[in-house]
Amino acid sequence: MAQPLVKKDDDRDDEAEYSPFLGIEKGAVLQEARVFNDPQLDPRRCSQVITKLLYLLNQGESFTKVEATEVFFAVTKLFQSRDIGLRRMVYLMIKELSPSADEVIIVTSSLMKDMNSKTDMYRANAIRVLCRITDGTLLTQIERYLKQAIVDKNPVVASAALVSGIHLLQTNPEIVKRWSNEVQEAVQSRAALVQFHALALLHQIRQNDRLAVSKLVTSLTRGTVRSPLAQCLLIRYTSQVIRESGSTQTGDRPFYDFLEGCLRHKAEMVIFEAARAITELNGVTSRELTPAITVLQLFLSSSKPVLRFAAVRTLNKVAMTHPMAVTNCNIDMESLISDQNRSIATLAITTLLKTGNESSVDRLMKQITNFMSDIADEFKIVVVEAIRSLCLKFPLKYRSLMNFLSNILREEGGFEYKKAIVDSIVILIRDIPDAKESGLLHLCEFIEDCEFTYLSTQILHFLGIEGPKTSDPSKYIRYIYNRVHLENATVRASAVSTLAKFGALVDSLKPRIFVLLRRCLFDSDDEVRDRATLYINTLGGDGSVVETDKDVKDFLFGSLDLPLVNLETSLKTYEPSEEPFDINSVPKEIKSQPLAEKKAPGKKPTGLGAPPAAPISTVDAYEKLFSSIPEFANFGKLFKSSAPVELTEAETEYSVNAVKHIFDSNVVFQYNCTNTIPDQLLENVTVIVDSSEAEEFAEVLSKPIRSLPYDTPGQTFVAFEKPEGVPAVGKFSNMLKFIVKEVDPTTGETEDDGVEDEYQLEDLEVVAADYMLKVGVSNFRNAWESMGDDFERVDEYGLGPRESLAEAVSAVINLLGMQPCEGTEAVPNNSRSHTCLLSGVYIGNVRVLARISFGVDGPKDVAMKLAVRSEDEGVSDAIHEIVASG
Amino acid sequence: MLLALLISNSVGNILVERYHGVPTEERLHWRSFLVKLGTDNLKGAKNEELFVASHKSVYIVYTVLGDVSVYVVGKDEYDELALAEVIFVITSTIKDVCAKPPTERLFLDKYGKICLCLDEIVWTGILENTDKDRIKRLIRLKPPAEF
Repeated sequence: MAQPLVKKDDDRDDEAEYSPFLGIEKGAVLQEARVFNDPQLDPRRCSQVITKLLYLLNQGESFTKVEATEVFFAVTKLFQSRDIGLRRMVYLMIKELSPSADEVIIVTSSLMKDMNSKTDMYRANAIRVLCRITDGTLLTQIERYLKQAIVDKNPVVASAALVSGIHLLQTNPEIVKRWSNEVQEAVQSRAALVQFHALALLHQIRQNDRLAVSKLVTSLTRGTVRSPLAQCLLIRYTSQVIRESGSTQTGDRPFYDFLEGCLRHKAEMVIFEAARAITELNGVTSRELTPAITVLQLFLSSSKPVLRFAAVRTLNKVAMTHPMAVTNCNIDMESLISDQNRSIATLAITTLLKTGNESSVDRLMKQITNFMSDIADEFKIVVVEAIRSLCLKFPLKYRSLMNFLSNILREEGGFEYKKAIVDSIVILIRDIPDAKESGLLHLCEFIEDCEFTYLSTQILHFLGIEGPKTSDPSKYIRYIYNRVHLENATVRASAVSTLAKFGALVDSLKPRIFVLLRRCLFDSDDEVRDRATLYINTLGGDGSVVETDKDVKDFLFGSLDLPLVNLETSLKTYEPSEEPFDINSVPKEIKSQPLAEKKAPGKKPTGLGAPPAAPISTVDAYEKLFSSIPEFANFGKLFKSSAPVELTEAETEYSVNAVKHIFDSNVVFQYNCTNTIPDQLLENVTVIVDSSEAEEFAEVLSKPIRSLPYDTPGQTFVAFEKPEGVPAVGKFSNMLKFIVKEVDPTTGETEDDGVEDEYQLEDLEVVAADYMLKVGVSNFRNAWESMGDDFERVDEYGLGPRESLAEAVSAVINLLGMQPCEGTEAVPNNSRSHTCLLSGVYIGNVRVLARISFGVDGPKDVAMKLAVRSEDEGVSDAIHEIVASG
Repeated sequence: MLLALLISNSVGNILVERYHGVPTEERLHWRSFLVKLGTDNLKGAKNEELFVASHKSVYIVYTVLGDVSVYVVGKDEYDELALAEVIFVITSTIKDVCAKPPTERLFLDKYGKICLCLDEIVWTGILENTDKDRIKRLIRLKPPAEF
């Protein structure tokens, strides 16, 4: 660090030793503060004590309420002194102490006096202090002075009042809004900072009034703004007006000329602000972008790090949407890789990775390699993610990119960083077939020396799936078996499973795998031994070269088809008994997650990521409910229960919602009713359902609620028969029927006689989506390919004019009731085409996958191509029928 | 909004700390984050050489001046360029008060004056004055020279 010149070592020691605050103690300083009460004030000494108090406060020391009050009262005495330096200190001290409302009154009169003082600077400071400590009532008293101050000739007084206004707008908006005329006048001030503060306040006062903001911007963009800071604000407000005007047509974008003009301003701050505003315009064209990119390019080679940072940060954003526009800056950006500021270097690299072309990849990788060793993990992760996307963009370059990833995998790094690298390698292996063998070997080498159990087990699992399919599976065995010797129990257990998978898929390796698995029978850990025993028994053939049964393969490789959370819940509720646990009793439906827990839309799934965890299902609760009602016992297995559909408006007398339960040949409506009137008791509550608009349904039974007291929910059921396995649809109108009896709220006694009454409910519909279970798959592509195209049905549909592409996608997803996979339900802004991947289980337990490509044709017309694959021809056709009739 | 202004000595002890719009429970986090940023990057830095970083939607500009490190944190209109302006006012004012890039001792000697200057520069999260000569007059309650 640069040290100031010191002549002698001794001086230096003295300086360090005798800090003016050495050994400072709150108690002692509070004692010293008593000098404020002296009849003969010593301004110098008082200032010193205030400085000490400030030092304590700035160190994070806090005063108790009593201490603060005591100091505050003492400080107010100092208003008697005429010493200017001390007075300035007093103003600061009062602000720092921020006295409570009941104490403020002590200083109000002194401050009011100062506010009317002839000395301008007393006025400015008194305004600032008063506004800091004041409340609404006092504010109305001083409002008149504040309004005058805003247009005061002295810029310091005006600024003090304006900044106070910005502060007060948060607490007393209605008062500050009355000052708009004065603030408007101050915007025209010749003093630069007054203009800056006035503009900020005026915009805040009018921010909810679009027309007023637009007028403000129009008048100011024509006039002159003196301060660069104010000009920056104006540019921000202008972009807001442009954004809200919604015009994206080229040529007549309002205010573009103003923004472009600002690119030639003399202040860098203004130039940058304008350039950024242009790059962020909605639907910006390359013609509009060019001048902005040119100035940002100049900033890239500026000597000021802040400018370089600002420029590269903005270009990085532009590269996401307009990579071609940024390519001109690539040379300048490459020189930033060696920038001393690591934030700048990282931004430069990730921008280059977005804009680079195939021929520059190798050169770029060489530069990045040198750079990686001296940046922090968080930057490294950003770079790794950028490299992953680059590799997917230029698959032919996988060799150098994969090498790079494997090299950095060997270096030091934390879990998140290593996970990012492993995820990237896995994604590359999946998407680039040529990269598979080398990628798997890199992963094998990594687990030889991997300190993270999670990563080791994930890689072992992945090896078990991909390794046996390679040309020479035997070369991976050594790496896997080494884990059984050298790792902890969790990793050992994973390695055993992986070995078994090799044995199952590669018949020639089976005898050798058997030998290895037998050795695992002597492991010290239960789980490892259990797995070894299980696999030795299931693989069959007793170690000879035989083909593995299909069932065994299904067991080892088939997906569990169950949300793990559901399985966990079922296992927890299972009571050990003679009856074995039935995995078929575990509900398969993935409940949608509450909104707050959802991941950011459009976030890509990670390479090794498991399918999203599902919260505890309510399906088993429903199943339990039905098994307890004998009338429903012969309906068979519950296929699906819908989410509750509200049949009444909020806050009505009776609140009713309905759940649709789908069985193979029955549909049951469960009406959840709540009586919200305290002085009523309802009895014999039923719902009369009119199914004339649902021809295929015939009502078979209705189960009433005997008694429905106030605020205690009850359920009534109505069951229908429908043709077996047929996804019948229809509309049902509902009428709540009951006997109402008066209740005396004081005694709780109910009258004997009741009156029959009815209450109209909303209609309920059974739709095609009710026959579809939302069941996701973790890797859609694998699932799609393994399903095969035997029962594939493809057709195209015009959806007509839609509000937006996203709206059309969501409508189709809702129509089909299937689970969107891999985040494809999220449609990026402004995109003209989108592919959505859906998965589900149709009634009859038939798996269905759908790949839907949407495109926007003309202004708003959406068309789509729907490809459906399923295990049943009829079901593929049925899905098309749903879309055709929807 | 200018969220924070922090001045520390060369080993990371806080000398001045002012926050605006930062909840009390987050302040400690900011303090350690900024001090770590300084220890990681400011070693060997030249006086007033600016360093810049962004964290979520917040910008940080920091520098070293003599024995002290200065950090400013802002968001929205106080982006990296505006913060550079703020930090320039702060460093030039401190140099002015101390007559040179200060040692820690010198900084503490002029502590009261420096607090007054900071009060003139940043108030309730808003940049108020940018001219060191004007600030010098204001802390002595003298009206600006041009007025």
